[in-house]
Amino acid sequence: MASYKLNINNKEYTVEAEPQTPLLWVIRDEVGLTGTKYGCGIAQCGACTIHLNGSPVRSCSLPVSAGANQNITTIEGISDDNSHPVQKAWLEVQAPQCGYCQSGQIMSAVALLNDKPTPSDEDIDQAMSGNICRCGTYNRIRKAIHVASKETTNGSK
Amino acid sequence: MSPQKKLPMEASKLDRRKFLKVTGLAGAMLAVGFDTLALGSGNSTLKKLMPEDLIKGTQLNPFVTINAQGQITIMAHVPELGQGISQGIPAIIAEELGVSMNQVTIVKASASRQYGRQSIGGSRSVRSLFTPMRQLGASTRSVLVQAASNKWGIDPSKCEVKEGVVYRKGTSDSLTYGDLVANASKLELPKSPSLMDKNDFKIIGKATHRPDLSGKVNGSADYGIDAQTEGLLYATIERCPTLQGAVKSYDETAAKSVKGVVEVMKVTRTVYGKKNTGIAVIAETYYAATEGRKKLNVKWDNVEFSKISTESLDKDMLKLANEEGLKHFEKGDFEANKVKMLTQDGSEFLATNYYLPHVSHTCMEPMNATVHVREDNTVEVWAPSQSPQVQRNFARQLGIPDNEAEDKIKVHLPYLGGGFGRRSMNDSLEECFEISKTLRKPIKLIWSREDDTTQGPFRQSSVHRMSAAFNSAKEPTGLQHKVVSQAITTQGRASNGRVPFEVMEAINTHYDIENLSVRFSEYKSQIPIHWWRSVFGSTNAFPHESFIDEIAIVGKKDPLQFRKERLKSEPRFIKVLEKLEKESKWNQKLGENEGKGVAIVESFGSIVAHAVFLKKENGQVTIPRVVSVVDCGIYVNPDQVKAQTEGNIIFGLTAALKDAITFKDGAAQQANFDTYRMLRMNEAPKDIQVHLIENNEAPGGVGEPGLPPIAPALGNAVFNLSGKRIRILPFDLQSI
Repeated sequence: MASYKLNINNKEYTVEAEPQTPLLWVIRDEVGLTGTKYGCGIAQCGACTIHLNGSPVRSCSLPVSAGANQNITTIEGISDDNSHPVQKAWLEVQAPQCGYCQSGQIMSAVALLNDKPTPSDEDIDQAMSGNICRCGTYNRIRKAIHVASKETTNGSK
Repeated sequence: MSPQKKLPMEASKLDRRKFLKVTGLAGAMLAVGFDTLALGSGNSTLKKLMPEDLIKGTQLNPFVTINAQGQITIMAHVPELGQGISQGIPAIIAEELGVSMNQVTIVKASASRQYGRQSIGGSRSVRSLFTPMRQLGASTRSVLVQAASNKWGIDPSKCEVKEGVVYRKGTSDSLTYGDLVANASKLELPKSPSLMDKNDFKIIGKATHRPDLSGKVNGSADYGIDAQTEGLLYATIERCPTLQGAVKSYDETAAKSVKGVVEVMKVTRTVYGKKNTGIAVIAETYYAATEGRKKLNVKWDNVEFSKISTESLDKDMLKLANEEGLKHFEKGDFEANKVKMLTQDGSEFLATNYYLPHVSHTCMEPMNATVHVREDNTVEVWAPSQSPQVQRNFARQLGIPDNEAEDKIKVHLPYLGGGFGRRSMNDSLEECFEISKTLRKPIKLIWSREDDTTQGPFRQSSVHRMSAAFNSAKEPTGLQHKVVSQAITTQGRASNGRVPFEVMEAINTHYDIENLSVRFSEYKSQIPIHWWRSVFGSTNAFPHESFIDEIAIVGKKDPLQFRKERLKSEPRFIKVLEKLEKESKWNQKLGENEGKGVAIVESFGSIVAHAVFLKKENGQVTIPRVVSVVDCGIYVNPDQVKAQTEGNIIFGLTAALKDAITFKDGAAQQANFDTYRMLRMNEAPKDIQVHLIENNEAPGGVGEPGLPPIAPALGNAVFNLSGKRIRILPFDLQSI
């Protein structure tokens, strides 16, 4: 058991955990941020996607010790009020169905748009194919990414 | 259900702001978040706080509460698993109630018989609730209007309602629902209120944004797996690879040596009468529980269940395909016609087998449940279930009389991260309840993805013997579809000579073929099966609609035209085919490396047809476009019908193109997404267009009907592109 300082969404948390505990479970159960989800535990489905220093990572496959003293962003941290262009776009196209995979989808999409503000369909395939959606919302997600991209690059509100 | 007698209810005096997690403006979803339930000590009654307890206002019936300010709360009583029903049912009520969705706050209900049936499945929520919920809304409007007309001393016919306000016709007098609710609550709800004219619908039929999506884009939506409460312990269960089997030995000491492990115990779940026993490890963290589980070293006594394999199952089913089987549908005399055709010059007889494997439900949220059985025998349950009314079941296990069950046992309805039928079985609740009843602590049981994929129950596997007789003009004179598979409802007991109702879904006997025969042979196996999205529609439609194409091609007919000819007595089918022909530009000539396929299926009360387009380019086969037409009668939210259909297409393509669940030595061989693969974004058709038929027919199902036709439409497109006939699923699209 060890003590870890975690910086999540610009807030400091101190948690007690075994060093090999996946960061996913520490975020969900010790910190109490349950927006990040468990889907497979082997980095195959993307439901656990968070940002580590701005880059998308699979928190199910990262031990808590590797997350200490880094900047972690979870789905709860991308806005206070659903005002992030990606969230707005998701709602505009009504992307989620059951919604369980959508935290991970959004985190991957945000990272993509930070990297490539006007992604092509191939860019989207590349960045998003690591996120499984069993409800099959892929086309709406794709559409939402294009919508968010337009809003961000046009500077329109 | 008939409107309940009014129960004036003052909601709890608790401070609403303190306990509610508001996710948006009026009209948004209020879900009692789990953090509200973590307040207080183990003895605190705050822990039994249910969403219904927090609603302020006057309750006119279990679904509708209005406060003096005119704010309207409508309970969403059907569990939300992504189909949008948490908005759909309240929308029906709101329509007849005479309010706009902006005036309504939807609150997720808890499990309670006051709402009538809350189980979901079979694409039947809107189908079965459309009229009863309209009646509920109308009767509630009726007492509000009566209260106004009483106040004014006039006949109700001199009043009209608009957006929660009653107007006295021809004057400027008006009273809001807020003004009226106290008096309205004293009146008896009429049993047969007059319903609106469908032409006047303002909400039903419109694409309205779902309020629950607000929480689903920011991590705040509460799923079963997100339950949090003080003192929560986590459990994981080491399970027998063959599901059935006895525990021979296990190393409890080794498991308990892991820091944080609190207890190790045997747990049993019942699956269609069969006991599946495992060893649970309970710990202070989920990680500690899984580490403890790794050390258990369970030895199983399961030799008798280790004998079957996919090969042995398939062999057994093929044998049954040769038998006569039970009659389901016989028009004319297929056998006599067959004999006649075989002796005629120029006639033809075609017989072939189709095969589909077992597959898994694979909800993105793995099976889980959180249950707290307290020392005083009160219980609180947070479980993503399609059949949430578990109170009586648990009450009987605790010696609590039925009439106290709902008082003592509280069941929350979190969001479901997918259901697809799997969550209509409450086996994970059963396990969790057993652990909590033993330890008297709150327990969160999580199935790993591996548990979820390998432990079933599964979708049935099936063999289909398809045969057709043709005359010398190459026209079909006889068609027979013989289904061989397990049945769901007869598991755990002997066949009784009757065809179980569920096994004949989606077999279209309207085709104008003189001799039409549908038969069934039941297969019994140790593999447990359960309702899977579209159930037998997911296995029957593939052979049926593929074989219809085979028949059309014998006569060199265009498959879509063939269907129009042979279904011309069925106007709803024809309208769907004609619209599909138009929207998909079916008659446009395709390029050398392109193919197209069509299928049309009626299931769960709706008719859906897909046209699938394939393209071969740079050595890769892709599915660039799918065009769909849906006739589901009257629909509540057209955008949700489209969303469900898009989802059904992806779900069905996954089953057709990705991995099967295969068995070796009695155990499933696929455990996680590396070997049991899902269709990904880059493989999904980039262009999916869904068109809805407009008519005034009674609402049909929406959650499942889009699935059965996709695999045969795909298979028919493969034949069109390559000349290769797919009769076994799954198949590799790149190998055609």
